[in-house]
Amino acid sequence: MSLIFRSNRLFTLGVQLAKSNLIPNKQFSISHRLAQLKFTNQHEWVKVNGNIGTIGITDYAQDKLGEVVYLELPEVGAEFEQSSQFATLESVKAVSECYIPVSGKVVEVNEPLKDNPSTVNSSPLEEGWLAKVELTNPAEIDKLMDQNQYEEFLKSDDH
Amino acid sequence: MSKLVRVLNVGRLEYDKCLKIQQHFLAQNLSQPDSNTLILVEHEPVYTIGLRKQAYPDEYLEKLKSLGAQVKKTDRGGLITFHGPGQLVAYPLLNLKNFKPSLRWYVSRLEETVIDLCQVNFDLKAYRMCSTGYTGVWCNDAKIAAIGIYAKRLVTYHGLSLNCDVDLKWFSNIVPCGISDKSVSSLSKIMNKNLGIKQIEPMLLNSFSRVFDCDLEIENEEQVQNLVNKLAG
Repeated sequence: MSLIFRSNRLFTLGVQLAKSNLIPNKQFSISHRLAQLKFTNQHEWVKVNGNIGTIGITDYAQDKLGEVVYLELPEVGAEFEQSSQFATLESVKAVSECYIPVSGKVVEVNEPLKDNPSTVNSSPLEEGWLAKVELTNPAEIDKLMDQNQYEEFLKSDDH
Repeated sequence: MSKLVRVLNVGRLEYDKCLKIQQHFLAQNLSQPDSNTLILVEHEPVYTIGLRKQAYPDEYLEKLKSLGAQVKKTDRGGLITFHGPGQLVAYPLLNLKNFKPSLRWYVSRLEETVIDLCQVNFDLKAYRMCSTGYTGVWCNDAKIAAIGIYAKRLVTYHGLSLNCDVDLKWFSNIVPCGISDKSVSSLSKIMNKNLGIKQIEPMLLNSFSRVFDCDLEIENEEQVQNLVNKLAG
């Protein structure tokens, strides 16, 4: 807990310093890495930065799917309720649904992924992101699993 | 406790009618997690395409219709294929949480079911090709079974089709599954004797039960007919 408190203070200090133009912005990338990363029991992740959530599927999910050969991403502007289907992935001979971890309005989709769908397999948490949404109910984030909880979940029988 | 799969052999049934039955059991199995179903069917001639519909322009599909088959757009994985008389189609509606929650595993088990069937009954070496573009089950460099599935919250539908004594000329009108450099065959052609659906059905059930490590409960004919009339009549 104290680490989070210290890092929040660092972030606030960083913002103040950035506004004062004394320190170049690239030194504050560390505070951005502390943006929240949360997981669902359907094996999607969301990285929240301010009011924007970047969404994708986990390494576990891509492994269980197999190589992604095609995907259908939502339209920019589309709105989704938490846990509803927002994207479709086709891996070899199998189509499966992706469920949105948080309610939101799509502000960007990962267009280059359509030409290189297997990026979902090679970089599921980074370049393989699927969509970015503007959160419509940020409180939903608190109920999702953090990394430790998700790793425990994977070890359990219920996944 | 062993997994139980209820088997419904609906006989010869047109694609859309069977799809209604699939959708009924998909909804049922989504709400009853211990429930698993396997539908066996023989379709009237139909070409089906998968999720990537943009690969097939309407003029092309109209041309296929003029050859005497229906053409259906589906949401399953995979590209274009043919279903028709002499081909055994199996639609497992399984809750993968009862088995293994992995689509990659599930597709490989469907392939294994056909490979097992060929080995056990005909001492025939069927195989899967590991490269992405060549899924399904192969024998003597020709495809004998095609696979295309959809999973909703880990409950599967659509499935596999195994060529028993289907008229292979239907496949010459398409590039089956998008594979242009290989041919399609059937069990009858490879074994050089007539092997119809009725002979292959019990073999498929046997292999399915072994490969998926499950018990099968075969629904009786009357029950199946009532269900077909109720859902697809």
